Amino acid sequence: MRKRMVVVLAILALLALPLMAQGTNEQPAKKNYQTLKMYTALDTEEAQYYIEAFEKSTGMNVEYVRMSSGEVLARIEAEKDNPQASVWFGGSNTEHISAAAKGLLAPYKPNTTFELSRNFHAADWAWSGFYTGAIGFVTNKDFLAKHNLQAPSSWDDLLDPIYKEQIEMAYPYTSGTAYTTWATIIQMKGLDGALDWWQKFDKNIHQYSKSGTSCIARAGLGECAVGVGFSHDIVAKGINQGYPVVISFPKEGTGYEVGGVALIKGGKQPEEAKVFMDWVFTKEAQNLFKKYSRLPVNPDAEIAEGAVKLSDIPLINYDAQRAGLNKDEWVKAWRDRIGK
Amino acid sequence: MNNKHSERMGDFKKMVGEPFLLVSIIVVFYLLIVFVIFPIYKVVKTSFVYDGHVSFRNYAEVLSHDYYIRPLWNSMILGLLVATIGTVIGFVFAYAITRTPMKGKTVFRLVATFPMVSPPFVVALACILLFGRAGIFKGAIGNIYGLTGLTIVEVIAYSPTAFLSLFGILQSIDPALEEAAMVCGASRGKVFRSIILPLATPGVVSAWLLVFIQSLADFGNPMILSGNFSVLSVQAYLQITGMNDLARGSTLAILLLIPTLLAFYTQKYLVSKKSFVTVTGKPTASTIKNLEWYVKLPVYVVCVFFAGVVVLFYGMVVWGSFQRLWGIDKTFTLQNYVQMWAVGKDYIRDSLIIAAIVTPICGLLSMFIAYLVTRKRFFGRGLMEFSAMLTFAVPGTVVGIGYILAFNTSSALMPVTLTGTATIIIALLIFRNLPVGIRNGIAALQQIDPSIEEASIDCGANSGTTFWRITLPMITPALFSGLANSFVRSMTAISAVIFVVSGGWNLITVAILGFVDNSQYAQAAAMSILLIAIVLIALFLMQLATDRVGKGMKVGLMEGEQS
Repeated sequence: MRKRMVVVLAILALLALPLMAQGTNEQPAKKNYQTLKMYTALDTEEAQYYIEAFEKSTGMNVEYVRMSSGEVLARIEAEKDNPQASVWFGGSNTEHISAAAKGLLAPYKPNTTFELSRNFHAADWAWSGFYTGAIGFVTNKDFLAKHNLQAPSSWDDLLDPIYKEQIEMAYPYTSGTAYTTWATIIQMKGLDGALDWWQKFDKNIHQYSKSGTSCIARAGLGECAVGVGFSHDIVAKGINQGYPVVISFPKEGTGYEVGGVALIKGGKQPEEAKVFMDWVFTKEAQNLFKKYSRLPVNPDAEIAEGAVKLSDIPLINYDAQRAGLNKDEWVKAWRDRIGK
Repeated sequence: MNNKHSERMGDFKKMVGEPFLLVSIIVVFYLLIVFVIFPIYKVVKTSFVYDGHVSFRNYAEVLSHDYYIRPLWNSMILGLLVATIGTVIGFVFAYAITRTPMKGKTVFRLVATFPMVSPPFVVALACILLFGRAGIFKGAIGNIYGLTGLTIVEVIAYSPTAFLSLFGILQSIDPALEEAAMVCGASRGKVFRSIILPLATPGVVSAWLLVFIQSLADFGNPMILSGNFSVLSVQAYLQITGMNDLARGSTLAILLLIPTLLAFYTQKYLVSKKSFVTVTGKPTASTIKNLEWYVKLPVYVVCVFFAGVVVLFYGMVVWGSFQRLWGIDKTFTLQNYVQMWAVGKDYIRDSLIIAAIVTPICGLLSMFIAYLVTRKRFFGRGLMEFSAMLTFAVPGTVVGIGYILAFNTSSALMPVTLTGTATIIIALLIFRNLPVGIRNGIAALQQIDPSIEEASIDCGANSGTTFWRITLPMITPALFSGLANSFVRSMTAISAVIFVVSGGWNLITVAILGFVDNSQYAQAAAMSILLIAIVLIALFLMQLATDRVGKGMKVGLMEGEQS
């Protein structure tokens, strides 16, 4: 009997061994850094790309969890008595602003070689913005050709019955992308006007997703005609992947995000977290954003070909601070009216 | 009365005389209270607290909002449909394999159980490729986003559960009974109505219930395919992870729990009252000869059709995983595997380490609890069995929420905070997978005469030695099937663990869901295939090990899921 047990256990152990070995084989840290614990709202593959570069450049070890930015905020709030991570990397600053208002972040001014624009960081440096991007529409070319349409060029184009159950985006309460969209509409039309508009818009929605980027590939596949997302995501995950999609922007103006990075208050690796914050703004790190078509904030960094610059798009005077502070109320209003 | 009393006193004396037994009973109780009762209690409690006061306001609020009520009904409708269709298909499959001279039974068995070793939402992905708006057979079955699509994918994913439990039941009904009835002049229909159905009823009811619970807790498929048909498990998840609203999330979880618990205990009560099982201890393998064509034909058609659907769906996943751009550019490529490996190797390592820890602990603990409740008599025995089996009837969503609530801070029961550690994942998987092992263990023990163990005790061995040296070797097949089951489930679980994963420890199913979320379907498919391969290889190795050390014993899916 024991023999049998031993054999089974040995097999299980053997299965796990090569993988364990791989884990312990990593090169030793250059300095005596602790392992940095991080929450990221970037997609796993992209987060991994930056984090590996960071690990290589500093010798620090990073453990991260990928969640949508709404989930990160929820998680940090739930864990405020016992924070499990020290850095929050990525996601629109809307969520960072909510978090800062709730006192969940630790202010820190990163060491940079350039002056970070006033719009791109909190007044008290509770968060800093490391890339920018605007809300735009991603549309399937085949759908446009079939219906002899131009890509939507105004918010009201999205109300056209031709798009009935053909538009997808995320829930404003789970995704920073979708919340930025919702906050943009509110800032353009006022809360009541925005609710009325969205109620009409909702008839054209096929399904809401959890994450802000899923609608892009789905528009590419033809599972929906139009998605609403950030320009850099549309370029990197739609057009550059080879999906038959086009990007367009509403002529009335659109909202934009500043991607936020912040220290979590009470995080157990504050020194390591600061090293990471500094690194994010280096030219070396900002050059990496090219691969995912994000617009760098470091003026020395290179800009990806085909990336959409904020100066090329009609923008509204988007007030991220207001969006962040009113999040709970605006989300509740949305759910009560839209019922999803 | 007097007699019973003195008997009890005797039991008590025996226990005091055996410190090992006493200590182990206390330890098992402690574990069950902390990891089963406490989390569920926390969910119940949280749902009744509003602004720090005990109140029904969460319920009032939930029940007065359409966006909470509709998912409740949707979940019920979906659960009823999936459970009913899934049970019928499972029954037909079990009937075909135990009763008809169908060819290629091994293949059919394999195909019918295949969806169990894969993460469930893979089927939803394949469904989009096949029947989506831009799919290969677009429009063939109407709009797949919503009830239709969800019913199809959940039937594919969960009817194997029904098949496995019905297979065990039908196998234990001797076809000689039916042949005797036929010889006496009963028609095939009469035999079916008056022999097979009554004998199989308990199994059918419990299979139905199993599928119903799985459908209620299903999380991956509705995330991908729900369209405007929102379901409760996803709403509870979004409420908690998206809005950080534990109170309302818990309330939704309780709404998910009530129908399941009701159904579970009604069936237990009803079935135990009128069960006439003819367990002979050995499965009878002979099939019925001369089965009429009008029985065989529909049975074969259903089997071939369902097997074809399973092959089609999984074939799509395999094909998709080698496409350069899922569904668009179908050039063959291995890049998805390369990308998936770059992101996923840590997840796979973590998953394997956790499964390797969970599997033996879960296997041994379940056998030990089975031993205690069948062989020992002590105060609270019924309670022990009830609480150990409780997670069986509780949807994964509820368990997951309970674990965050219970272990996010320290408490008198659990002095250290478990959130963020591997321990919480391991504990969750162990206690979630216990019931199947315990059921197998109890079934095995009931067929073994306790006199051998009594002899061991009479010769001076204590209960621990007796369990380890005598009982366990006798129920090895049950142990191994418990091991296989808990390994498979640890590797493929999602609906409960999604709530407790953290930075240090990530699971492969969570990674796949991340890919899906981000519409990286090909990478999700590649990783699913890797996961299926790992599980199959592990099962194969375990089978090999058992074959080598114990002739004639079988482990694997078939026995593993029979419950």
